Amino acid sequence: MNAFDYWSIAQGALATVLLSFASIVVGVPLGLGLALIRWARVPFLNRVVVAYVSLIRSCPAVTLTLLIFFALPQFGISLDPTPAAILALTISTSAFNCEIWRAALMNFPRDQYDAALAFAMPRSLRFRRIVMPQIWRASLPGIVNEMTLQIKSTPAVAVIGIVEITRAALRVGARTFDPVPPFVFALFIYGLIVFVLIKAQRVIERRQPVEVRA
Amino acid sequence: MSVRLIRREPGQSKQSIAATLLRTCAFALVATFSIGHASYAASVEEIKARGYLSVATEDDYNPFEFVDNGKNTGYDNELLALVRKKIGVDVKQQVMPWSGILPGVTTGKYDMALTAVLVTDERKKIFDFASPTCEAVTFYATKKGSSIKSLDDLVGKVVGAETGSAMLADLKLFDEQLKKKHGGNGLKQIVEYQSYPEAYQDLGLGRVDAVANTQISLNSLVKTRPDAFTVGQAIGKPTYIAWAVKKGNADVLKMVDSALLELRKSGEMYQLQQKWLGASYKDMPQSVN
Amino acid sequence: MTEHFLIIWQQRADVLSGLLDTLGLLAVAAAASLLLGALLTPALMSKRPAVARLATLYVDAMRCAPFLLFVYLIYFGLPTVGIRMSNWWAGAVALILYNTAYMAELLRGAWAGLPTPMIEAARAYGFHGFGMVRHIILPQVFTVALPMIGNQLVQIVKDSAFLTVIAVGELTHQMNGIQATYFIPFAAFVTAVLLYWAICLVIEGGSGLLSRFAEERRA
Repeated sequence: MNAFDYWSIAQGALATVLLSFASIVVGVPLGLGLALIRWARVPFLNRVVVAYVSLIRSCPAVTLTLLIFFALPQFGISLDPTPAAILALTISTSAFNCEIWRAALMNFPRDQYDAALAFAMPRSLRFRRIVMPQIWRASLPGIVNEMTLQIKSTPAVAVIGIVEITRAALRVGARTFDPVPPFVFALFIYGLIVFVLIKAQRVIERRQPVEVRA
Repeated sequence: MSVRLIRREPGQSKQSIAATLLRTCAFALVATFSIGHASYAASVEEIKARGYLSVATEDDYNPFEFVDNGKNTGYDNELLALVRKKIGVDVKQQVMPWSGILPGVTTGKYDMALTAVLVTDERKKIFDFASPTCEAVTFYATKKGSSIKSLDDLVGKVVGAETGSAMLADLKLFDEQLKKKHGGNGLKQIVEYQSYPEAYQDLGLGRVDAVANTQISLNSLVKTRPDAFTVGQAIGKPTYIAWAVKKGNADVLKMVDSALLELRKSGEMYQLQQKWLGASYKDMPQSVN
Repeated sequence: MTEHFLIIWQQRADVLSGLLDTLGLLAVAAAASLLLGALLTPALMSKRPAVARLATLYVDAMRCAPFLLFVYLIYFGLPTVGIRMSNWWAGAVALILYNTAYMAELLRGAWAGLPTPMIEAARAYGFHGFGMVRHIILPQVFTVALPMIGNQLVQIVKDSAFLTVIAVGELTHQMNGIQATYFIPFAAFVTAVLLYWAICLVIEGGSGLLSRFAEERRA
């Protein structure tokens, strides 16, 4: 493996991180929105969200990516590989995040919410001041866990030709006919990325302990 | 942590849950089937208004198109560089695995498949082809020193080819012929790969006994690894390789054909053929449709 | 659109073979990883630091590694050490090795959550060592961990789709072949998504049934 090979794998790692980051930035709030729809039991949308989450959580990332990239053009929505990959990853992570947020919402103490209602707080204020600050701390471990899982499923987008870390390693191996070293190097970089994320989660958890309920 | 589709409210019977579930499934199925598809082929005016022609190229098919040190290169890519100068519009190229290129053209995602597409009768029903870029025959290759010396030796062997390729179709036809000749015994298994580099790796490791590809690609493989592989015999009929557009897309075809035929007249195409393919094909017809 | 689905129906033999391959991989990987995971859990919780550290290293490595990368490593790496196996078995081995770590981890979580009074009572009655594990601990651990095992099975099904890159003929691979040959991407992949959904609904339904049965036994 020459220097250019290492560089191309590192570039692939960068692509991986950027794709994951983009999908997380959109997917986490989207998951919160879906969870709120279920929490509020909006009549028809509720069922739609249930079916959507159930479907997406059982769909492999590879199949979803292939579907979005190859099949959507039949409806006139033609996406370049990178937006298609981000869309697929975002859809996938939003479904999982919906469940995580929903668990935190379900465990939210009803009495605080009722007290806010008794004070005639408008809905948005109720959510912003009372509910949100507490559930985001409660669901943080789950969200970060899901982020690491997301990063690990990013290689799925290699099937539509995006040169992320796995495909970069594959190309190097195909050129040198010695496939193992590039993959070991890619694994090392990946381990580094995940390790950093897990460490960040520990730091955040230590700084923001979940409040003990009185 | 599982998500149940229907939550059972108190007082709701199992029958009404089943009815709701059935209704939802029926609705979903009807919705899927009733979606028509809006695909389009851009006309010349649209292309000129848009300012570019969108093409799709395979990412790793030696020697036609492959990536070398970060740059797209190979016969088709260098031909594209020459065509760009003559065609009058910009060309936006998307590099992707083979299995997405032809479906991408049929669904209107790309105007043209600028890659090594073998001209087959099946494909002529769905695609129109530009002026051919070279000739090809499907061969098979084995590891050097393999016991397979003739076509009949392939009986009971595992052969690999690329998903959705004409070489795969040729291989399947060849399998039928073998079965007819040897009383029902054909190939043991046909393995489909996403792209050829993986097939060659498996060939080197002995997971497949042979790989079917065009003779041009196999010759290029043997040139890089003469110690490891060797080319066998032809298992398909001679045909042409050309760039493909959706059937009826005559405008794009005219634009591209005029550029290609100019390159033929100036001799630049034959020079590129000599450089990348090791031979020049001067007797190709001007159109293969 | 309907004629696209008709083409898929005509190719149903291929689709069925892909579905059976996926289910076969699921069955083999689930059984083997559960078994090996159950054997690994005591090592994870062992009092001897060397054993525990080795086991934890293995589990952490699998949890850090993306599955696709791991598959390629097994697929390309094994032949270099002389083990030659077919694509299907290479994929199955990758699934097994990867999920053993996850199964061991979730079984360990369930084990650690067992009430200590129960274990002390068992010891008072003369259970110890392997007998205690077999009669007292493992049944409890499995019933508690059942929903999480169900989740992990869903994860195995989804990971099996990655094996298309090493040419294992599972469901996604077959559907990709069909769509590339007949140019019907939407119909092919929608069918694949719906089939995966059906498999996972069955897994979740099964695990729900089993855990209700376990609840009754416990109460």
